Amino acid sequence: MTESATNDIRAAARRLLADGTVSVVIGYGDAGPNRTVPIFARTAAQADRLVVSHSALNNLTVYLTRALRPVGGRIAIVAKGCDVRALVMLMSESQIAREDVYVIGVACAGVTTSMGQPMSAETVAAKCRDCIVRTPPLYDELVGVQCEPPATSDVLDRRIAEIEAMSAHERFDYWAAELELCTRCYACRQVCPLCYCTQCIVDRSVPQWIETSASPRANLSWNLTRAFHLAGRCVGCNECERACPAGIPLSLLNRQLAATALREFGYVPGIDPAAPALVGSYDLADREEYIR
Amino acid sequence: MKLGVFICHCGENIGRTVDCPAVAAACATIPGVDVAVDYKYMCSDPGQNLLINAIREHALDGVVVGSCSPHMHERTFRRACANAGLNPFMFEMANLREHCSWIHDRGPIPTAKAADLVRIAVEKVRRNDALIPIRVPVTKRALVIGAGIAGIQAALDIAGAGYEVVLVEKEPSIGGHMSQLSETFPTLDCSQCILTPRMVEVYQHPNIRLMSYSEVEKVDGYVGNFSVTIRRKARGVRAELCTGCGDCVQKCPIKKKATSEFDEGLAMRPAMYVPFPQAVPNIPVIDRAVCTYYRNGKCKACEKACGRGAIDFEQQDEMVTEEVGAIVVATGYRLYKVDGSSGYDGYGEYGYGRYPDVIDGLQFERIASASGPTGGEIERPSDHTVPKKIVFIQCVGSRDESKGISYCSKICCMYTAKHAMLYRHKVHDGEAYVFYMDIRSGGKGYDEFVRRAIEEDHVHYVRGRVSRIWQRDGKYIVRGEDTLAGVPVEVEADMVVLATAMIPQATAPRLAQTIGVPYDAHGFLVEAHPKLRPVESSTAGVFMAGACNSPRDIPESVAMASAAAAKTLVLFGSDVLEREPTVAHVDESTCAGCFRCQSVCAYSAISRKEIRNRDGSLRATVAYVNDGLCQGCGTCSATCPSKSVELVGFTGEQIYGEIHAMA
Amino acid sequence: MNADVVDTGVVRAGVESAGDDNAGTGAAGAPWEPKVVAFVCNWCTYTGADLAGTSRLKQQPNARLIRVPCTGRIDPLFIIKAFESGADGVLVSGCHPADCHYGTGNYHARRRWTLFRSLLEFTGIDATRLHFSWVSASEGRKWVDVVDGVIDEARRQGPFERYHALARPEAMIDD
Repeated sequence: MTESATNDIRAAARRLLADGTVSVVIGYGDAGPNRTVPIFARTAAQADRLVVSHSALNNLTVYLTRALRPVGGRIAIVAKGCDVRALVMLMSESQIAREDVYVIGVACAGVTTSMGQPMSAETVAAKCRDCIVRTPPLYDELVGVQCEPPATSDVLDRRIAEIEAMSAHERFDYWAAELELCTRCYACRQVCPLCYCTQCIVDRSVPQWIETSASPRANLSWNLTRAFHLAGRCVGCNECERACPAGIPLSLLNRQLAATALREFGYVPGIDPAAPALVGSYDLADREEYIR
Repeated sequence: MKLGVFICHCGENIGRTVDCPAVAAACATIPGVDVAVDYKYMCSDPGQNLLINAIREHALDGVVVGSCSPHMHERTFRRACANAGLNPFMFEMANLREHCSWIHDRGPIPTAKAADLVRIAVEKVRRNDALIPIRVPVTKRALVIGAGIAGIQAALDIAGAGYEVVLVEKEPSIGGHMSQLSETFPTLDCSQCILTPRMVEVYQHPNIRLMSYSEVEKVDGYVGNFSVTIRRKARGVRAELCTGCGDCVQKCPIKKKATSEFDEGLAMRPAMYVPFPQAVPNIPVIDRAVCTYYRNGKCKACEKACGRGAIDFEQQDEMVTEEVGAIVVATGYRLYKVDGSSGYDGYGEYGYGRYPDVIDGLQFERIASASGPTGGEIERPSDHTVPKKIVFIQCVGSRDESKGISYCSKICCMYTAKHAMLYRHKVHDGEAYVFYMDIRSGGKGYDEFVRRAIEEDHVHYVRGRVSRIWQRDGKYIVRGEDTLAGVPVEVEADMVVLATAMIPQATAPRLAQTIGVPYDAHGFLVEAHPKLRPVESSTAGVFMAGACNSPRDIPESVAMASAAAAKTLVLFGSDVLEREPTVAHVDESTCAGCFRCQSVCAYSAISRKEIRNRDGSLRATVAYVNDGLCQGCGTCSATCPSKSVELVGFTGEQIYGEIHAMA
Repeated sequence: MNADVVDTGVVRAGVESAGDDNAGTGAAGAPWEPKVVAFVCNWCTYTGADLAGTSRLKQQPNARLIRVPCTGRIDPLFIIKAFESGADGVLVSGCHPADCHYGTGNYHARRRWTLFRSLLEFTGIDATRLHFSWVSASEGRKWVDVVDGVIDEARRQGPFERYHALARPEAMIDD
């Protein structure tokens, strides 16, 4: 991502605001070296704070979900490929209409694992390694230049393979240890664009399906349920893991389930807005050899 | 809440294995249980009275009976509760017999288990809600789509019972394919002779509103309350003025530009035409694609010929809306065309479409028909000579997975035998060959019919398939195999008749989507249950009859039509439809409008509902369950991540209570 | 009958596991017995279980059936809650594909199960604890084989110690 991409973003935002196409541009705002913060640009001055960089980590589509969406008019959003996949899911789940959002797609060269780091082979986010949407699948205009991010090892898939190679008891102990650290802050849920339920299942007390206390058992129930509710929906933006204050490797749960969805059902979420939902459709030939 | 627990001994069936008094005593200690007794036979009269009296004396809010399977007596005890003044849904059963006393040896274990099972039922009933059956008003008018023999039968049955029927047919005349047949198996009845009286009866019936040359465009609503939009296509003729004299048809100069659909392309028809002489209604139609007036504004010979001023060139399609309570779909079939035009490939090697004398079954019917293009003489389409050798090929397209049609079309064995017999009756020195894989003649008199073809009419039956047909010296060489003799066979034929597969109408899938009923990969409508509900679809209020569901012959189609009419009359039997209230319900305050529930509903019971602010602006779009359509499976509820849709009677709270009771 | 079956609490002890206690003996001195929860559909499996009863086919008493209209109704939350409530084994059973009373409920359930099972296996709760079956209304014998198989497997695995160890009783709301 180059200087020109940042200039392009600012020019696009200024133009869209000036000619009334949109009333707000949601994008990444400059917050110092290798740092961005989400900004809602409503004026030309605010638009001039927009940047495109390797630190554009947030999945801004979370601001398109109903509770968080700015009111009044069409919205422009700056979105990388992984973010656009989340937007495609929101569209296919009737959360936002295509005509209500103007997508400024970012042809992406990868982002860093966390804020405050320049891009390198050591700092590039694990999710960028096998990204299939370096050019977003959907956009109204495109900025940036797509190129390969620095090469990195397949750390996520190797970790998943390591866990899968453990015995059932070892796997259980591994996750029990990780989830013991969960404090039930729900940052993972808050930052996920697809966790938009008006009342989350964990907040339902009659009946209380998921205990709200932060016991390891309740934490396991919460994280299993959230991962399952994202089956066939999680697009792998990994913001949940980045947001987790306890450093729990949440992306492993979602990624393993996404691998199952691909292997069993050939399903890849967030590419085609017209594709039927994974859990919501079926095939007569769906696998069932484990069913007696 | 005040609960009552009643433990049944069921004579010895439970009592011998489970210590019923002990179970009752154990349940008395459950919080909220006011009454806990045991009795020999709860389902008997005195048993039910015990229940009723206890409900009244103790003002019980909920009841658990520990006895047999709910499949046996849930209804019995619900009725008893209702008699006692307690809502029948404040009742649960614990299965202490099939699931306990009958599968364990006597001892403390089944007694302990029985107490457990009752405790689980108590936790469920504690969370039950009083439910009122859902009442849906019923419009006692029916819509029948398709006026072939099945649609005609259904319409006559429903109309005969005193209800109004709207009968919609897309062709200019009713009668369907049966009107094209020459004779029907196994009696060799003249098809039109038995059909036309029915057609006239339909036309004249005071309760039947016939809309011919019309198509169903849109279906809204649900069982008992459908609103159907029908397009009445413009014939170019004012029906109320036309006397059916036929002068306009005579005078129409465009006689050679259009082929007759009724005669399956074997003859021409004028631009102004009636499909066949016995058409009902006997009102002509202008084919605007070939009519001179519509092409360049000239001619108008028909208008000049019409003594009644019935021609109306400006006539437009008219959209009408009908309110009905039930729909019967009887759209029938078409034949698979080997030239690929029906959407399936295959059998091009038989030369259909290339060789004029290679024809299909319906074309042969037209040739054999006395009112057909050859006056009933068996003639070759190419040169009108009489064929001395005809080869009939069965299973063209059917039973062939690789061509996409895996099923058997059921009628071809019978009509091929019939065709061969008709040919032999008319051409005494002619020879008929039938290439077959199997002979399927399972109906009444059917096998005897085929034997007659073989033994009396000397039709040659060759077991084997035909690999290819080609021309040589003016003959069609049909090459196949006689698998019983184990030799290849070549027949020099003058004409070949292909028994092509029966497939649904091309518009069947779109119509099924319009109505909201499921259809299969072939386009056949899917019945609610293959064994026990063959004429109902899974959409309440929509029934089906005849070949639109699967290949079938005339007697079966007529039987299905009367069955579908009977189902319609059951629906019309009451002014109000009462349904079990254990259906899904949406909490609109928490529904996030993702509509995953809608995608899993097998009954199209979930729709989108807009919630608006007072100023009219849209606040949210949420899911809405039509409790007239919901069948209560609960798949929506399990799919909803926030549990905004719950299945009444099996709510999350109730199931949670049951699970927790096992702790 | 024995006096110790009058009090509900003692009645349960003969059948249920010692829960968080050590594997071995339960409260009343009886050997530990696994607790199995079975979520079954009304039209097929529940009726199949009825048939097993009508045919007087003996089976082990450790299973408690929860009846739902269709396997489509079964949410993975039920399965999690069953484990939380002390189940040592969970069985989910319904109509064979193409036989669902509601047409397609079991197809949706099947897909859900494949995904959920994969997730649970990844976290160490595997097929020794969670089982699925298709049992039709005519398969009484099969029902017995399935439910006995699940109970036997749960007994072989022992109490779900690892899982119960994750609980923090003092933090929980337990009605």
